[in-house]
Amino acid sequence: MTAGGPPKGSIAETVQTTDGFLRHAGRDFLVVLYTAVRSLKLYPIENAQVQKALDDLTATTKHLLDVEKEIELRLQGEFIFINSTRLRLDLDNYASFSHILGVLRQSGIGAVRIDEGVERKQLQIFVSLLLSYAAKDVTATKVFELAQKLSDAGVTHIGVEPPLETDEDVEDEERQKEAAKRTYARSVAVTKEVINSIRMGRTANVKKVKRAVQAIVDQVLNNEASLMGLTTLRDYDEYTFTHSVNVCIFSVALGRKLGLTKLQLYDLGMAALFHDVGKSRVPLEVLNKQGGLTDEEWRIMQAHPWLGVLTLFGLRGYGEIPYRGMIVAYEHHMKTDLTGYPKSLRPRELSIYSKIVAVADGFDAATSRRVYQTVPIQPDQVLKEMWENPRRGYDSVVVKAFINLIGIYPVGTCVILDTYEVALVHSANPDVTHVHRPVVRIVTTPEGGVQHPGFLADLAQRDAAGNHPRSIVKVTDPIKYGINVSDYFV
Amino acid sequence: MPPQQVEELLQVLSKGIRATQLYLPNNPVYQRAVDNIRASFRQIWQATDDLVFDVGETELRWEDNVVYNQEQRTESIAWTLYKDGVRSLAFKPGVEEAEIVSFLGVLQRARNLQADAADDLLTLLWAQDFQFVSYTFRELASENAVPIEKGETITSAPPTDMRHAVEQEAPPKREGLVSIDDFDTTLYFLEEGEVEYLKKDVEREYSQDLRRNVLSMLFDLLELQTYGTVRAELISIVENFIPYLLGAADFRSVAVILRETRAILQRARELIPEHRTTLEGLPARLSQHDALSQLMQSLDEAALHPTEDELSELFQELRPEALSTLMVWVAKLHDERVRDLVQAAAARLAQANAGEVLKALASEDGAAQLEMVKLAGRLKLPGAPEGMERLLASEDRGLKLAVVEALTAISSPSAMRLLERAIDDGDRDVRIAAVRFLGSRGYRNAATRIESMVTGSKLRHADLTEKMAFFEAFGALVGPKGIAALEKMLAAKGLLGRKEDPETRACAAMALGKVRTPEARGVLERAAQDKDPLVRNAVTRALREVGT
Repeated sequence: MTAGGPPKGSIAETVQTTDGFLRHAGRDFLVVLYTAVRSLKLYPIENAQVQKALDDLTATTKHLLDVEKEIELRLQGEFIFINSTRLRLDLDNYASFSHILGVLRQSGIGAVRIDEGVERKQLQIFVSLLLSYAAKDVTATKVFELAQKLSDAGVTHIGVEPPLETDEDVEDEERQKEAAKRTYARSVAVTKEVINSIRMGRTANVKKVKRAVQAIVDQVLNNEASLMGLTTLRDYDEYTFTHSVNVCIFSVALGRKLGLTKLQLYDLGMAALFHDVGKSRVPLEVLNKQGGLTDEEWRIMQAHPWLGVLTLFGLRGYGEIPYRGMIVAYEHHMKTDLTGYPKSLRPRELSIYSKIVAVADGFDAATSRRVYQTVPIQPDQVLKEMWENPRRGYDSVVVKAFINLIGIYPVGTCVILDTYEVALVHSANPDVTHVHRPVVRIVTTPEGGVQHPGFLADLAQRDAAGNHPRSIVKVTDPIKYGINVSDYFV
Repeated sequence: MPPQQVEELLQVLSKGIRATQLYLPNNPVYQRAVDNIRASFRQIWQATDDLVFDVGETELRWEDNVVYNQEQRTESIAWTLYKDGVRSLAFKPGVEEAEIVSFLGVLQRARNLQADAADDLLTLLWAQDFQFVSYTFRELASENAVPIEKGETITSAPPTDMRHAVEQEAPPKREGLVSIDDFDTTLYFLEEGEVEYLKKDVEREYSQDLRRNVLSMLFDLLELQTYGTVRAELISIVENFIPYLLGAADFRSVAVILRETRAILQRARELIPEHRTTLEGLPARLSQHDALSQLMQSLDEAALHPTEDELSELFQELRPEALSTLMVWVAKLHDERVRDLVQAAAARLAQANAGEVLKALASEDGAAQLEMVKLAGRLKLPGAPEGMERLLASEDRGLKLAVVEALTAISSPSAMRLLERAIDDGDRDVRIAAVRFLGSRGYRNAATRIESMVTGSKLRHADLTEKMAFFEAFGALVGPKGIAALEKMLAAKGLLGRKEDPETRACAAMALGKVRTPEARGVLERAAQDKDPLVRNAVTRALREVGT
């Protein structure tokens, strides 16, 4: 509570106090629930670790109930709400959160309700049933069967409900998609305007850039998947601009995963958007040259990081000097061991934002069709190379976090399944233990017919026998099968 | 809830903007305005859980009621919101605690923004990250954004051909073999150490000195890039950076620039003469009067002052020519700590640059002269007396006294010569100070001059203090040779003999006390029973000084 706050018992105080308490206690509850689920999955019930986990779960639940009187855990998209308070994801808890999200989803659960009077035994039964139902095939009635089982077992203080899939939710999904498209289109237009202004020596409208980055941050915070899907729009002709926007989106999304605050995400986003601004001073004939560059041309190209610094100094109307943007522009090709370019005489330690942008930049560039790279490298191969080859100079922890973000098969990857269906990766699996089993959109039938829009399938799903009905066997080129990837995200 | 209640709130908010604009937070008017806003909101929250307004050009509507209307755009909350695209505004309970004041501040800032500013109302609102204020807006400017639409359909092969192609491409199925991936689920988990590593990196990001980082880049480039146009641009950036950094009170960074410039001058290859001259001139420019005066002024006016280390680092880089300006400002600065630092910097420069000391002593600024004189005395600068001679002819009594004090501290032969001349100064205090010092130091060169003062008529109209000073000096300098003359002055004559006045007689007694010989003692003992109490008192004191 801030000093000099309102008199006790007012609405304002209640809102503030409740919010803060729920965020912390809700997080604790999720973590102990995750621990209980994991323990029970690995060990028998009598195991000391399992018993302790159940004790902790009971204590935390009761603590929450003492204050709140009841607990409602609700899933909405990729977010978890405890009594209408959204829980914040950060480095400390994202793995446990996403696992619980996955388990609840697999059980068909949209909400769990717990009220006062719940005992340890009931929580134990709930966790056990949760595990067994999560392993079963998805059916429309799964959650109701689970509810019945709970009731039959005498669990009267814990209830489960299906997700609230209303028309409103579907409409909201569409609205989010349209909002993402608007944000993306506007960001590309603004980037183009700024880069072209700089190239022509005119004053750039930085205000618009700020608005664009703020919109990207908002979109990533509200519905990351819709914006990430648009990074598959790799415009050959407008590469410079779409590339800058894609790097911005990837960087902000990764920053969110690392737990950066909204304003920090904005800093990162601005730096990411401007990371290649130095290319506005590289002659177009060098930038767009087909075939290999001469030594001189390569030297000019390698100058773009520090040219970016000079360019940013010249950006009038920026107000405060964009130091972070300069640092990222300068460092993003330096490599973690500083053997990249430009050379550094004075001691330097790479900024985390530079490392993030380097990974995002490297990934987007390698997976795009360019004048000198007419066949883009498949996303999973790019990630493999970034992850396994230290000579590439990427920070391995950042690469790992990036893979956590986009999955081993990033959004837009075209894959062949063992059912002979062709699919496009729609999003990373929310359960981070299944980074190699994303949610895909099946776009052909097993017989070979192309479908539009196709349907979504979670490759982490198991059937009654405990097997995965579908698995990726190969990454492939979508053009070979007449599939325009971005059409499935637009 | 009646609309009038909402109207009242908005009236209170309007007044609140003005109050927060005109007054500081500790002002009672400001505080009253904020209290009124809070009270109004609390009343509102008794009746509702949120407050949502539709924003028009000149009005705000709540539940279809116009609750605010202001035609004058410069004064209008509605117009400030509307012109940047805001179309609805909502407040929630809790906004009155802290956010409403920030919100009013943002409105005020937005009103004052120029058209080409880097921000507008929306970017400012977003940066505040309000929890209890929300708004919807329309993007006003057409961005030339190309709407994203599906691409052209690529003709695909018939299904059977597709299936065949997929079978060809897919690797053969191997029944019973389990994919290693299904076991390696934790491969991409971030371990605790890795999570910690990332967290620390983020902390480091926000604790680093960004300016220093960028400066480091600029210096690297200056050293490595040999193209003339590139270097010219870099030098221009560095030059323009200096006043910016000074304005931001980042003195350390300015000091770094000046230091690194020296290093670059030594190490950079193919540096053309023009660039070399410019770089060499950077420290000199900062030491010039106008630039340095700006710095001093900003230091004096700053609410927050830099640390001693920061200022010292900068002052280390000042050139000798800065001394005169520093002395001007030493006299003017209000902040004691800053003044001490400036004095320390001036002292360093003065000790190393005698020529600049003389220049500073010749300054047209009287206050600066005075400070330089004091400093010269404190530092005992041997070359300073040369510049002080002229000052002894000044009409400024305070200055002359300071000069005498400084000369006494310096005590060099040239200083002593000047002090000797000061015995004849038109100012009593100057004469006294000079003669006392000369006497205490035993400066016999001045003996003749002092004797003529003592035995002549010049002291006749002097007050006792001055007479005493001269007589004591006479006694100290002339010694036994002066006993006869002093005895004559001390002696009480007979009926027809000339007798000196009691003051002169008392001074003679004190002078004998300074001679300190048995003969002098004898003279004093003989006068011990003098009828005049002033004389008798002086004799007693003198005898004590002589001792046994």
